[in-house]
Amino acid sequence: MIRVLFFGALADIAGREQLDLTWQPSLDSPAAIRLALAASAPALERALQQPQVLVARNLDQAGWDTPVADGDEIAFMPPVTGG
Amino acid sequence: MLSGKQFQRYSRQLMLEDVGESGQEKLSQASILIVGLGGLGSPAAMYLAAAGVGRLLLADPDRLDLTNLQRQVLYQTADIGGGKAALAATALAALNPEIRLEAIDSAMDRETLDQHLPGVDLVLDCTDNGQSRQDINRACFAHRLPLLSAAALGWEGQLAGFDFRAGAGPCYSCLIAEGSPEPVASCATTGVIGPVLGIMGSMQAVEAVRLLVSGSCSVFGQLRRYDGKRGSWFRVGLVRQPSCPVCGNPRVET
Ligand SMILES: [Zn+2]
Repeated sequence: MIRVLFFGALADIAGREQLDLTWQPSLDSPAAIRLALAASAPALERALQQPQVLVARNLDQAGWDTPVADGDEIAFMPPVTGG
Repeated sequence: MLSGKQFQRYSRQLMLEDVGESGQEKLSQASILIVGLGGLGSPAAMYLAAAGVGRLLLADPDRLDLTNLQRQVLYQTADIGGGKAALAATALAALNPEIRLEAIDSAMDRETLDQHLPGVDLVLDCTDNGQSRQDINRACFAHRLPLLSAAALGWEGQLAGFDFRAGAGPCYSCLIAEGSPEPVASCATTGVIGPVLGIMGSMQAVEAVRLLVSGSCSVFGQLRRYDGKRGSWFRVGLVRQPSCPVCGNPRVET
């Protein structure tokens, strides 16, 4: 299983803060997880495509191509830029 | 040596074992550059001035606008139209006349940063745009100065700490690469809740005090995210990117 966490404005769009996905070898990166969401949650997938969305894997900063394994927790955080 | 008045003024923090008279003297000898005196810079500057940080450099090229007052708590309605750096220096001097306040009303590009960073101990990035954040990151890395970088939007805020004193990353550009397209959303287009900025700016002040009195702070190498709508916090470890153009390994010519 892969636990996916959505923060703030992304949780608003997802309608949830957490989503558990059954593990399958094709979900091998945050980018692949994003793509897998396109069919069921197109607005969420679009929001994840915007620039400067931050990704974490198991509480450490990650990239869209960071390898993901069964049991991982992937967090997506929307950009915040104001001051 | 602290005067009797100073003992009184700072008594409620002097009581703390971690601060004491020696910590207060460290604060009074410290110099902090605050870049951006908006929603983050307002609370950060107010708390640091109140705490007796000896010298604050206050940088902001903008003039105060009516739409700023919902979140930029350093200013009054009658201040509209005035330059923020000078207004901030005046307000903070009234709060604490014992500290040095320097208003800088020019934009903080690389050249201006290089000019003002010598003699500074810590930089707070309280700006509202990506280019400034990258310029401040590069300058702090080059000058080996610690950097506390905060941002907020909507109900959310974040704070990242970078300890460049040893000349090593991770840096802001490891987190958000230089040249990344700017997100569509900004405070002007999406809006922001004032006290979310207050929390993040206050956190910058907490970490600044902690760093100045103890030499370290808990946010270095970390990203902290706050979601005011759900009241939740999240902590992410930053990762140095070997390919980072700012802090990455220098290319070896062969
Ligand atoms: Zn870097």
